[in-house]
Amino acid sequence: MSKVRRYEVTAAGDFASVLAVLTDHVGLQLVSLEEVERSWVDTAAGTLAQTDTTLEFRTPKGEGTASLTWAADGRVLVHDSCVANSVPVQVGDLPESAAFARLARLIDGESLVLGPTVNSQIAVLACLDDEDKTTARFVFDRSETLEGIALPMLLEIIPLRGYDSEAEAIEKLVRRSVALSESATPMKALVKNAIGTRANSSGLSTEMSAASAWHVVLQQLTKSITDSFSGVLSGNDPEDLHAFRVAVRRIRTLLQDGGDIIDPESRDRFRHEYRWLGDITTPTRDADVHLLEFPELVASLPQAQRDDLAPFNEVLIRHRNECQSSMVTELRSIRRAEFGSAWLEFLSDEDAWTGCGELSDEPVLRVVIRRVEKAHRELVKNGGKITKKSPAISLHELRKEGKRLRYLLECFGPLFDQEALATILRPLRDLQDVLGEFQDTEVQGEALFELAGELATTDDRPALVAIGGVVEQLGVRGSTARNEFSKVFGRFDDRKVQRAMNRLEVTKSSGKKKR
Amino acid sequence: MKVLATYNIKGGVGKTATAVNLAHVAAAEGNRVLVWDLDPQGAATFYFRVKPKVKGGGKAIVRGSIELGDAIKATDFDNLDLVPADFSYRHLDLWLDDAKKPLARIRRALLQVSHEYDYIFLDCPPSISLTSESVFRAADALLVPTIPTTLSLRTYEQLDRFVEENPDMVRELKILGFFSMVDRHKRLHRRFMTELRTAHPEMLEGTIPNSTDIERMGVHREPIGSYGKGSRAARSYESLWSEIQTRL
Ligand SMILES: Nc1ncnc2c1ncn2[C@@H]1O[C@H](COP(=O)(O)OP(=O)(O)OP(=O)(O)O)[C@@H](O)[C@H]1O
Ligand SMILES: [Mg+2]
Repeated sequence: MSKVRRYEVTAAGDFASVLAVLTDHVGLQLVSLEEVERSWVDTAAGTLAQTDTTLEFRTPKGEGTASLTWAADGRVLVHDSCVANSVPVQVGDLPESAAFARLARLIDGESLVLGPTVNSQIAVLACLDDEDKTTARFVFDRSETLEGIALPMLLEIIPLRGYDSEAEAIEKLVRRSVALSESATPMKALVKNAIGTRANSSGLSTEMSAASAWHVVLQQLTKSITDSFSGVLSGNDPEDLHAFRVAVRRIRTLLQDGGDIIDPESRDRFRHEYRWLGDITTPTRDADVHLLEFPELVASLPQAQRDDLAPFNEVLIRHRNECQSSMVTELRSIRRAEFGSAWLEFLSDEDAWTGCGELSDEPVLRVVIRRVEKAHRELVKNGGKITKKSPAISLHELRKEGKRLRYLLECFGPLFDQEALATILRPLRDLQDVLGEFQDTEVQGEALFELAGELATTDDRPALVAIGGVVEQLGVRGSTARNEFSKVFGRFDDRKVQRAMNRLEVTKSSGKKKR
Repeated sequence: MKVLATYNIKGGVGKTATAVNLAHVAAAEGNRVLVWDLDPQGAATFYFRVKPKVKGGGKAIVRGSIELGDAIKATDFDNLDLVPADFSYRHLDLWLDDAKKPLARIRRALLQVSHEYDYIFLDCPPSISLTSESVFRAADALLVPTIPTTLSLRTYEQLDRFVEENPDMVRELKILGFFSMVDRHKRLHRRFMTELRTAHPEMLEGTIPNSTDIERMGVHREPIGSYGKGSRAARSYESLWSEIQTRL
């Protein structure tokens, strides 16, 4: 599909005068004209930016409801009004639709953070052919920052699929009749440059000391934990526990990689406690996964066997509820309460965050990049040793190393060159998916087998046979994942990724040239 | 990807209106949707204002010498694309006849774009022929608009029988019949609906009324959801769509 063309309109002038010139040459129809305040939203790690998509929250000046638009380079993937009229923070705040469900999967339990905000006038016009069919869209975009700094007026020409030659002709006309200069910078990036890295919503900047940056990220992660805590206790939505556990896992990575940055005594203590916190939530998460995946596993069995499994679903539900209630007991324990308040106290103690280690006051970027490089080296080295004969445990260990690298990159994502970051993260996530599938299918297979023991006492043979079928399938999925390992690892252990590692440090020009 | 074909042996029953309007509803919900206009008369293509022409000819797609993706045109609606009709589709039966494995051809063409779409609608010409058999193979479900008259009852049952008698050909094809162009004020319509529902309880609950709003699609050249949003007719397609999703 052909690309969006993007120009800065250099002629002094407003929409009207530019339009007057264009209407002489092209059949145009106004689709919409809006005056809005708009903000870009993304996860703290920049998940959306890495997939080359943007999520925009628009509130109209005057009447009207707010809306949310998810787009890929100017093409709308989904657009819907936002009932809540406020910026979505959790996945649950997104409108309910198939496309937003896709977005939710992409965000994967992370919170959304508010990016730059501007006031904009946006006009969308359709170029029509002789059947009144749209062949391309013009988007005029005039924005200024909240402080009133005017940004260049942008004109985007978005060709519709299958109408490339028409779009080319339109483009020629426009270039002849309006003063334009080619621009590769989308509005979001223009805004970011104008507002500066200061406004980086993550609260991170490359000039910070390592200890302050660790502090900022740990505070954000702690907020995710507190935000999801009541949901974890209620157990109504598995997403809450998932988000909770991801935050715990990330805190553990930051503590693990916080040597010479964080006060050593606190670091040891909290590493121990967070490990415990992770462990006590694992059985419930596993049980959630059985329940979530069971229908799909069952669906591939022949109809007769599917019916045989009905009693087993009840076993799974009962098991899950048991796990949930023992987890809740632990989460309400004195140990957890004491650890929680000690942690919050630690975070709020300003003195604990300067000069407690050799590297505490070093610039964060240098420190992080060294740790990222180390994690990367180890992953490449140990991954390279894996052969078809390696025991399963060595793949599980590799997955942990992959997590460490991934979480370091994601937690400090805003500090890095975004293109380099995406180049590393994409194959890394694919690798982690394969390793995850391999381990999960194994864990799940074993667990189902064990739970099936409960049925054995009731002598429900058909159900046992059917579970055997399910476990067998898990085995097939696991070995498929195992066979894929060398392919996905090859894509990660690649010159492109290696070069990107060397480009992680943001250079002056990298804000401008996107491709 | 789910493939849905609007199909009826009878002509003029609302197949094209169904394909166009349901596709529009599905896309507006955020699904990625493709409509493939297989009828050489090109009514669906006309409703989307696209020129009825495929670069290289429709034959090339069926033959596999050009990719289906290269023939796709975006409609004016987000997430909704079209493979336009081509007048040469009137020879479709002939090409399928001398292509190798004719029945697998349409499915194979669709597989090239399956990762790009959640739903693909095939708008078929009225008949039972080689093309329709190839469509039956490709589709997960047939959407069968049925006007409540005796004749429709017979054609519906004819289709049912055809599918039943050719189990190897149609794999797991679902037949989703529903009433189209229903006039609630006609006693006969009400009577036939009751009769047909008794004989075929699997028919969908949702019905599409006989409505001048729907007829006006030809004037507006748009799906009804665009020019008649919120009208009774537009809502009837919305509820039909949510019911269809539960049946897939
Ligand atoms: N529910 C309806 N109420 C009133 N008119 C309708 C309705 N549905 C379709 N029509 C009109 O009836 C005519 C035939 O409809 P349509 O083209 O959808 O049927 P079809 O089954 O696709 O026909 P063909 O067999 O020729 O392809 C069209 O003029 C259309 O505008
Ligand atoms: Mg038709």
